[in-house]
Amino acid sequence: MSTVTQTMQDTSSKNTATQQRARVLVGMAFGDKVFALATKLAAYTVLLVLAGIIVSLVVGAWPAMKAFGFEFLITRRWAPQLEPEPVLGALAPIYGTLVSSFVAMLIAVPFGLGIAIFLTELCPHSLRKPIRLAIELLAGIPSIIYGMWGFFVLGPFLANYIEPGIVAAFANIPVLNTIFGGEIVSNLSLFNASLILAIMILPFITAIAVDVFSTVPPVLKEAAYGIGCTTWEVVNNVVLPFTRVGVVGGVMLALGRALGETMAVTFIIGNSFKISGSIFAPSTTISAAIASEFAESSGVHQSALILLGLLLFVLTFFVLATARFMLMRLEKRAGA
Amino acid sequence: MLEKISVKDLKFFYGANMALKGINIPLYANKVTAFIGPSGCGKSTLLRVLNRMYDLYPAQHAEGQIVFDGRNILDAGEDLNLLRARIGMVFQKPTPFPMTIYDNIAFGLKLYENLSKSELDGRIEDALKRAALWTEVKDKLDASGLSLSGGQQQRLCIARTVAIKPEVILFDEPCSALDPISTAKIEELIDELKHEYTIAIVTHNMQQAARVSEYTAFMYLGELVEFDETSKIFTSPRDPRTQDYITGRFG
Repeated sequence: MSTVTQTMQDTSSKNTATQQRARVLVGMAFGDKVFALATKLAAYTVLLVLAGIIVSLVVGAWPAMKAFGFEFLITRRWAPQLEPEPVLGALAPIYGTLVSSFVAMLIAVPFGLGIAIFLTELCPHSLRKPIRLAIELLAGIPSIIYGMWGFFVLGPFLANYIEPGIVAAFANIPVLNTIFGGEIVSNLSLFNASLILAIMILPFITAIAVDVFSTVPPVLKEAAYGIGCTTWEVVNNVVLPFTRVGVVGGVMLALGRALGETMAVTFIIGNSFKISGSIFAPSTTISAAIASEFAESSGVHQSALILLGLLLFVLTFFVLATARFMLMRLEKRAGA
Repeated sequence: MLEKISVKDLKFFYGANMALKGINIPLYANKVTAFIGPSGCGKSTLLRVLNRMYDLYPAQHAEGQIVFDGRNILDAGEDLNLLRARIGMVFQKPTPFPMTIYDNIAFGLKLYENLSKSELDGRIEDALKRAALWTEVKDKLDASGLSLSGGQQQRLCIARTVAIKPEVILFDEPCSALDPISTAKIEELIDELKHEYTIAIVTHNMQQAARVSEYTAFMYLGELVEFDETSKIFTSPRDPRTQDYITGRFG
């Protein structure tokens, strides 16, 4: 120890500092290892949990897969109490899931993109923040609140004042009189659920669209304005083509959310396994079916509900993977 | 000599910050006027006022007069879309639109004129030839404008600007992102274009200003220090600050 001190005194003060730093680093090496291990563990745990969920879904769904096979996907009937053997088919909830999400997208995409264009290109600067904040707050409202509002307010309003008018208007037009047809039997309907879904996914579409619209280089917009374009021409010919991939990615993320939304939809879609051509009829979705029946189910009925869950998982997985892929391509291009 | 544009006592503000402090300068018809000066002196700002590009940004405003063919373009009632069709701009960085080479030019043309397919083809060929780009792209008009090299992209932007037949073209450091060969091509092009257009060019490259322009304006800290024929500015400047700048003693 004394020789070490001796040499340290001999060397320059810079050297001393380096040696001190080296000693500190040795002391930290163990901590570094532990920290690296802990972060690695956290990251791998997520993968493990994901794999665990898939495995338990498959295990839980296995009896139903064995009992119904491929027929499960194309059977319209859902009769869990039927004797001696229950008949269970996923077609009605799959249909309800896809149609309610589709109608929701049909409403939310134009509104969401319109709001985003307004916010980035047209809105006075002083209003941008408040409007954007308000729209982002929509995303913070718990879905059960949307469900109650749809059940007590929007549903009765649609059934009493809006839907009868639409039915009457389209009564003599083929095809449309099916889509917007039938008797209004209930406040609860696919249309009601779609509207609520549209409001719920609107903030996602708007937020992502605003973000990708602001990736357009200002000089590119100036170039378009520089040849005398109007705002509409700039948006239509420069902003939208430049951000197309990102916008589609955002829309897919919103679709993923619409497909899986449970609580609000369970409240207002009516939980009917009948497939109707009319969007004013009650219907069900995969997540609504699971939420409303799982607690009282058992045996092959429960297994069928788990199989429904597995189907939804696969469906949303593909939608989200596509979205991620598209956003990745946009980022790559922006980075180039 | 005909003054195509006369700038009279122009003041320009970024918020409360005055970036141009009373500029008076003419742009003579069919001449090239170069603007030189250290970064931040207001030369690019002046260019952006000339086609009112600053209107896109709410905190910026201009005072004074810019008389273009007898009308003050700073008037509130001025139609900006038509103004920008008459006063075209080429930017520092190439800015091809995210579409094909053909559409990059057709897009601007279609805004103003109803052309048949063959007329459109002719105008596009003509514009690309003027921009000395035709031989390089004539076989790949359907390729994306973004697939071209930087120098080619910049010439595409010039083609796009000349296609809509403006009267004035503003070049904002058009060669700063380009290699010497592309730069030489663009300089040749500017020399050609002045026969039909009135040209203003902002540049940091003093040799470039000397090569391409008939008139040179030296700006410093938001003021126009000196404006004269280019040969006079570079051989016998009147103001010592101009002397210092062109000999590289500051800036």
